[in-house]
Amino acid sequence: MHGEYKMPGGKLIVVDLAVRDGCLDRVQVSGDFFLEPDDALHAIDAALEGQRADADEHMLAAAVRAQLAPGVMMYGISPQAIAVAVRRAIDQGTDA
Amino acid sequence: MTRTLWRDHDWQLIHTDPQAPALHMALDEVLTHEVGAGHRPPTLRVWEWASSAVVIGRFQSLRNEVDGEAARRHDIEVVRRVSGGGAMFIEPGNTITWSICAPLSLIKGMSFQEAYAHMDAWTLQALGELGIKAWYQPLNDITSEGGKIAGAAQAHRGGAVLHHVTMAYDIDASKMLQVLRIGREKLSDKGTQSAAKRVDPLRSQTGLPRAAIIEHMIATFRRLHGLTDDSIRPDELAQAETLAQDKFASLAWTADVA
Repeated sequence: MHGEYKMPGGKLIVVDLAVRDGCLDRVQVSGDFFLEPDDALHAIDAALEGQRADADEHMLAAAVRAQLAPGVMMYGISPQAIAVAVRRAIDQGTDA
Repeated sequence: MTRTLWRDHDWQLIHTDPQAPALHMALDEVLTHEVGAGHRPPTLRVWEWASSAVVIGRFQSLRNEVDGEAARRHDIEVVRRVSGGGAMFIEPGNTITWSICAPLSLIKGMSFQEAYAHMDAWTLQALGELGIKAWYQPLNDITSEGGKIAGAAQAHRGGAVLHHVTMAYDIDASKMLQVLRIGREKLSDKGTQSAAKRVDPLRSQTGLPRAAIIEHMIATFRRLHGLTDDSIRPDELAQAETLAQDKFASLAWTADVA
């Protein structure tokens, strides 16, 4: 499943995932945003992996935020915007 | 660490023969590291391309961004760079690309938005002198009355900032849209699907050959910030060649975000 969200004033966030037994599986966040350091992307994917598919945006954003190491810098992307893209993938996702 | 000014640094220019896409990626990483480690003074590197390439951003999905079959058909190499941002479509002579490797002190205390504008202030001045009224469009674009001119991207590495910019000189838009998937959606979003066959904001607005624009850009940087002609050291080149082969030409890296 595939969802996209252009963060207002930010960049495009793309999420590809599957849902297995009611949980998010094989989550991949991508896009033309900026992250420092770059391995923060893998932490974001890991934070989303296994989250319940009925989690709301607030819960998904909190899960991402909790996984981010202190000092991670985001430009054109935010935990909230990632959560919107994830919900879109789940709710209206087409098979990519 | 206190903020430094452009003129506090002994800027070096690297502008060499055309190089392969993967080697350009590796040179960015090696030279930024060398500047951060204090082994090399801050450097402006102007790129010349030996072959066509799609350069995707650090966090872009390979399969979502690139039509691999079309890239193969047009003999276009796909590489992933170390910085975020969007995909670039490169054919030798159709873009103007450079990297600035500088100590982080140059942008100390600045927001990302301020840092991008700061690193390209000289660019806007150079374009103005060529008769193009250009301005920064946050987050990371340079635009003009004749449309978008350039995209910039920054990455921080161990005490240094890498800031690179690609300006569209004269791009074959139909070929670009065959190879880049996102380009199609972005264009359709903006209602410009029937856009011109070429995206040539620099060529059409200056009437100058690409080489003359590059010459003017370099002269502007030299006048404003100081610039000494330099070359890539043999040990830097050797490191970059190894890195190009082991990392930037590998599927593991290019498909790191699948």
